[in-house]
Amino acid sequence: MTTNTESASDCKIVTFTLGKQTFGIDMGALIEIREWDEPTPLPNVPTFIKGVSNLRGNVIPVVGLAERLGWEPSAIHARSCILVVSIGGKQAGFLVDEVNDIVGISRSEIQPAPEVETIESSVIDGLVRITTRAKDGTRDENGTMVLLLDLEALSLTKHLDLAA
Amino acid sequence: MSDELDEIQAIFFEECTEGLTTAEQGLSAMQGGDVSAETIAGVFRAVHSIKGGAGAFGHADLTAFAHKFENVLDEVRGGKIAPTPGVIKVMLSSFDVLSDHVETAKGLAPRPNDAASLAALEKVLADRGVPEDGAAPAAAAPVPAPAPAPVVAAPAAPAEDEFGFTPVAFALDDFDAPAAPVASASTWTIRFKPSRAALANAGEPLLIIRELETLGAKVLSVDVSDVPPLRDLDPEDAYLVWVLSMPGDVAQRDIDDCFDFVAPDSLVEVTRNEVEAPAPAFEPIPAPEPEMAAEDLIPFVPVMASIDDLTAQVQQVVADLAATPMTPTPAPAVVESAAPKPATEAAQTIRVDLSKLDLLLNLVGELVIRNSILADRLSPADRQRVELPELARLTRQIQDNVMSLRAQPIKQAFSRVPRMLRDLSVETGKQIELETVGETTEVDKGVIEKIGDPLTHMIRNAADHGLESTEERIAAGKSPAGTIKLSAEQKGARIFVRVQDNGRGINRERVKAKAIEKGIIPADAQLSNEEIDQLICAPGFSTAETISNISGRGVGMDVVRSNVEALGGRVEIHSVPGEGTTFTMILPLTLAILDGMIVRLASQRFVLPLAHVLETVQPEPGQVKRTSPDTEVIDMRGEYVPVKRATEIFGLNDDRLIEDSLVVIVESEHGKVGLVVDTIDDRREVVIKSLDQNLHPIRGLGGATILGDGSIALILDIEALVASTNRYTPKGLAA
Repeated sequence: MTTNTESASDCKIVTFTLGKQTFGIDMGALIEIREWDEPTPLPNVPTFIKGVSNLRGNVIPVVGLAERLGWEPSAIHARSCILVVSIGGKQAGFLVDEVNDIVGISRSEIQPAPEVETIESSVIDGLVRITTRAKDGTRDENGTMVLLLDLEALSLTKHLDLAA
Repeated sequence: MSDELDEIQAIFFEECTEGLTTAEQGLSAMQGGDVSAETIAGVFRAVHSIKGGAGAFGHADLTAFAHKFENVLDEVRGGKIAPTPGVIKVMLSSFDVLSDHVETAKGLAPRPNDAASLAALEKVLADRGVPEDGAAPAAAAPVPAPAPAPVVAAPAAPAEDEFGFTPVAFALDDFDAPAAPVASASTWTIRFKPSRAALANAGEPLLIIRELETLGAKVLSVDVSDVPPLRDLDPEDAYLVWVLSMPGDVAQRDIDDCFDFVAPDSLVEVTRNEVEAPAPAFEPIPAPEPEMAAEDLIPFVPVMASIDDLTAQVQQVVADLAATPMTPTPAPAVVESAAPKPATEAAQTIRVDLSKLDLLLNLVGELVIRNSILADRLSPADRQRVELPELARLTRQIQDNVMSLRAQPIKQAFSRVPRMLRDLSVETGKQIELETVGETTEVDKGVIEKIGDPLTHMIRNAADHGLESTEERIAAGKSPAGTIKLSAEQKGARIFVRVQDNGRGINRERVKAKAIEKGIIPADAQLSNEEIDQLICAPGFSTAETISNISGRGVGMDVVRSNVEALGGRVEIHSVPGEGTTFTMILPLTLAILDGMIVRLASQRFVLPLAHVLETVQPEPGQVKRTSPDTEVIDMRGEYVPVKRATEIFGLNDDRLIEDSLVVIVESEHGKVGLVVDTIDDRREVVIKSLDQNLHPIRGLGGATILGDGSIALILDIEALVASTNRYTPKGLAA
């Protein structure tokens, strides 16, 4: 699957798409990938929190990640899934459009995210380019830019503090 | 690395807390006149182990002080210093300083000034002419904690570890004893072959054999002659015949009882064998030939065993198995009688990280849920086949047991009180006596941790407001010393914690005047005595005329009430003018399980805590009236109760007519409120899953639970829900 062999990889990421963007998170934080299942809606929470879901007896929040990052909310479709991650001891599920791959990257390849004037630029930890075999068989010569997410910065608690 | 050290240190502090509790109880007992060797030794051990731990962690001040304290205790223990009231007083105040030192070691308090206390201890030692650093510490230091043999006296000795085997030896003798008649008198021979049907119904032969074994039976042989060649073997059929011998002194009824739950077509033969049995107890099990046992059966006494409701019965056996370990009964009985009430039960406990118990409870909760999922998905016929009720009951027992693991005696929460009262006594100049009842009542550890603050407030309130000054008491013809009685008792799934003083009672005139002055109630409010008493818990209320060191810090009884309510409990106040006041905290035994009503709001399921529910009504036309465009009340037999639509509060779409809905009347801090719900689905105990574990507390929700189908239902927080829309707190309070 992965042809990213220019240098030894020292870190594995899971790549997924939100709209047309490809994102990545550290494999270490991933607990599991689940099919989309309508969560139980919660009152008095920001709209990006879709509700809570039952993960083997744990009640975890399900976050519309696209919305959380300021993109158009994801529409639910057959390939929608939930990435269950652990952030600072708390578990959360991220709704993503499609999970693509597990890719080994080298930390040295990670470029810092450009400073942009948004309220929180820190949500993107860095950028990395990976070359993959595209789904339609065409060769993706230029590679794909993957936005690496900083899960700590995505931490839900502080946003909910504001909302509560 | 340092994490590990911190962890070990945390254990030490936990032990300190336990040690302080023990020491305080011992000292209090001594103050109360119990100067038995055992009590003194208990205090000594506690202080000694605190010293030991403190030394290991380099808490020099704590070590030094504990050392001095221990010296005095050692002398008292050795009978060289008499435990006179004066000496006990010094020890009590030393204990307070010791607690302060522990707090300091924890980094929670500045270093206490222990000079006075040290001097007092010195003096106690000096007055007896005991060399300060001579023989006493030398004697004290090497003595390990459980060593006070000369003091504790003989009976305690068997409880010590090295003697632990003695009772077992007795036990074995005792266990063999019933076997003795076997050789001389008759025996029973039992042939047992479960039927195919019994196996199909999950009748487990092993359980029955084990039960027989507890009566003293031995398996003589297993007759395998019916087992067919492998290719003909039907794995669902039963081929084996067990032949057991049972001591003759066992009543036939007891044997029959073991087969109560066996399917009627199983083979059960119980034969009295008058001929001397071939000493089965001493032979290896497989030796005797089965034919012989079979031939010897002269009178065949088939045991009736026809019970229809096999499922329900077998489940009881299995549940019992889960509850009690399969040890031969005589052994524990003897151990108990041989061990004369050990001084401490420390040897029988194990320290477990609370988070592990939480995890276990979580898993059991999950099991409960899976259980109901199974029940939901299976057809009734299948349910019979898989013996689901058995599983459900077993699960329930496991759940109860796990809950009981988290249970702790409430004395942990009570342990701070004596110290607090001594301080309060000094601050207020009042004489206060403490009486405690029911300290051994067990409550979930989570509850114990959370009642500390409310308890502190209630005790302070009783000491500061409740009890009169000594002069006042004498003038009123009461004993000079006021009494505060602290008690705990369990009633059903609730725990009642009372703080009762024999002081002046609530001055209702003044309370009412104050409430009017503060705008808590309107000037013309007509309140019953109980309602006036409740005003004490109103936010911002304080009757203290002057701001003393104790009260008037802006926190009052309202904190008690909100804390208790946050725990799902409530506070009751009962006061008799001139005779005293009783505050009662009524709390759930556990924070993990909730008795709930499952309701639907806009077709989403929610859980209403049953503790709040008063009644449910199907509104008649005209029974719900508008008092403003946004507010409605329901006419409850002449009482107008405000109606809330939770759907509005939660922003759910709801176009139901109120006449098509149900109104659940709930009682909250803010009075009665009717909550509009679509339907009531069910009533059941739910396992509370906190939302803030992974998310954040959400206003209006007390958590979530997982229902039988695996879906989540949110638990409504009635107080918050009502408060969030009810801005008329004073009115609600008076209602």
